[in-house]
Amino acid sequence: MEKKISEMNYNEEAIVKSIDEDLKLKVAGMGIRVGKNLKMITKHPMKGPVVVSVDGANTSLGLGVADKIIVEIE
Amino acid sequence: MTKLDVDERWDLIDKISKKTVTFGEYKHTLKDAIGELTVKPLTGIPIAIAVLYGFWSFFSSFAGFFTDGFFVKLFDEHWLLWLQEIFPGKESWLYYIFVGDPSATNCFEAFGVLTSGFFVAIGVVLPAIVAFYLILTLLEDSGYLPRLAVLIDTILHRIGLHGYAIVPTILSLGCNVPAVAATRVLETRKERFIMMTILAIFIPCGAQLGIMKEVIPDTMGFVIFYLFMGYLIFGFILNKIIPGKTPEMLIDVPPYQMPTAQNVGRKLWMRTSSFFKVALPFVLLGCVIVNVLYLTGFIAWMGDILSPLFIGWFGVPSETAGPLIAAFLRKDLAVAQLSAIEMTRYQMISAVVLVSIYFPCVATFAMMLREGWKELLGSIAVLAMVVTLYGGLLHLIWILLGVA
Amino acid sequence: MKILLMGHPNVGKSVLFNRLTGANVIESNYPGTTIDYTKGYMRVGGEEVEVIDVPGTFSLDPKDKAEEVAVKMLHESRDATVICVIDASKIERGLYLVLEIVEEGYSVAIALNMWDVAEDKNIKIDVVNLERILGVPVVSTTAISGEGIKELVSRSRGTAPVEVDDIFERVED
Ligand SMILES: Nc1nc2c(ncn2[C@@H]2O[C@H](COP(=O)(O)OP(=O)(O)OP(=O)(O)O)[C@@H](O)[C@H]2O)c(=O)[nH]1
Ligand SMILES: [Mg+2]
Repeated sequence: MEKKISEMNYNEEAIVKSIDEDLKLKVAGMGIRVGKNLKMITKHPMKGPVVVSVDGANTSLGLGVADKIIVEIE
Repeated sequence: MTKLDVDERWDLIDKISKKTVTFGEYKHTLKDAIGELTVKPLTGIPIAIAVLYGFWSFFSSFAGFFTDGFFVKLFDEHWLLWLQEIFPGKESWLYYIFVGDPSATNCFEAFGVLTSGFFVAIGVVLPAIVAFYLILTLLEDSGYLPRLAVLIDTILHRIGLHGYAIVPTILSLGCNVPAVAATRVLETRKERFIMMTILAIFIPCGAQLGIMKEVIPDTMGFVIFYLFMGYLIFGFILNKIIPGKTPEMLIDVPPYQMPTAQNVGRKLWMRTSSFFKVALPFVLLGCVIVNVLYLTGFIAWMGDILSPLFIGWFGVPSETAGPLIAAFLRKDLAVAQLSAIEMTRYQMISAVVLVSIYFPCVATFAMMLREGWKELLGSIAVLAMVVTLYGGLLHLIWILLGVA
Repeated sequence: MKILLMGHPNVGKSVLFNRLTGANVIESNYPGTTIDYTKGYMRVGGEEVEVIDVPGTFSLDPKDKAEEVAVKMLHESRDATVICVIDASKIERGLYLVLEIVEEGYSVAIALNMWDVAEDKNIKIDVVNLERILGVPVVSTTAISGEGIKELVSRSRGTAPVEVDDIFERVED
């Protein structure tokens, strides 16, 4: 099933399917690329940021970024 | 020379990584568990409040312990008495500049270079700065700051910033100068301008916090609250009127790490000593200049001219002109000077707020200039508005409460 | 000789810089600690070597003023040996910056720093093979304890630019 990072649930794991073109380079710096495995650590309420774990390192993404990355849940 | 595009580069990295790196089974450790607890809203927010409260308690008890328990006695009962005894010529202007008021019984009132100058710098500001930097270093080295940034992101978005702006904000509670430089990690001009402006106006530095704790211990909470509200209100307004974008936060949250005594000690020493290299000359010079201005009658003259503004608009005594001039050099000195002026508790609050918001100290000013003169001019325009409106508002509040 | 320390934020560049030069720049556990460059000097076999610490940057396409400082310093130091400091526990993203710098024709050496963290996380890196593929010196280091720093310094001498095309060939072997 495909969804946005911002729609993932706590502790859910997923594989990155596609990333908005403008953001590609920026999030790649944080280790997030197509094909990478992600795990949701926490989501903040009221349009707050999310924290995901990639390759064992935690990264925080603002909601606007998390909305533009599509992942696939296996 | 071949240049790759972004995707080609990543493809190559994938190939290299497949041949050279194996990611073994990753075991969750206690450190990771704590890391997650402190970044999740339900647990993280109460923990953040506890951490900041702990920060504050430590700061005030540490600084209080050394200032009240040791330096006040040393300076008032020994240093001042000794100077008053040995310094020749009680009527001379030299005595006035160096020792100050001959009838003073404590180092706050005397206002000489050798009395108040040293007392403020060493007796009050030194313990405050040491206490502040000790905790700041622990926060920095442990890796807590990025987590705080995540927790506060939602609020800071309302004022045109994102979570990472917490770093310059916290740094400026120690000293505004490195904080202005730290705004370089913010991406857009809009963000940098908002951050620089509101931190220079509303955030009191460690030296100022230390002296406020001595001069207005009971009402300090209110002053800080009023300044903090100003930070949010004017941040909110600036966000609405300044064109430009606030990008989304995108930061690494590093694993926790035990701060080492060696690094903490070294940073504490570096920061305290460099703070003093800058601060001590300004405090002493400030005392000299202010005393000379008093002696020549300049301050009385300024006070007279500005008295409609001071008394009518801000509701503070016209003698406040002196401290406001000193505030340009050092805010800690200015607050110390206020303590010697006769006024009500509410006037005192207004005066301390004015000293805080009215102009950044000269060192901050110079740093802002380095970051760009257009921004500096913009900040000054905002500042003039803030002082008039927000300073006047406090007077209005006192009138409505019937205490002015 | 001149050495420039480049790498992502919070990978340990400043710790390494302090170790190499005996300087006292601020090191902290959050990205974005260093916001300006600092020059320092060290002696290597009688030669005075200039070392420069810069703010961390994710790519050569700066997104804020701190990153601009780093990229500008790189472009002003065409003759320098660039030591790319990588967080070994996040090696892939670190290699991105390495490739960018290699493509611009700089002489590069790689410090796989935070080696202790990578070991804790059970990440195993074949340093010898990595070095063969990239064609530049690769040394594992733990800057906070000083491990590997001596080797890094001696291996950084006499590095030469490499071609990306050659890397493509070597990775297929
Ligand atoms: N475990 C471990 N920690 C390290 C190592 N090297 C550095 N650190 C820690 O990593 C953190 C970041 O180090 P810095 O030297 O400040 O990082 P930097 O690369 O200069 O970061 P910026 O100035 O933000 O670009 C500090 O808390 C160091 O103590 C290492 O080899 N192992
Ligand atoms: Mg650094």
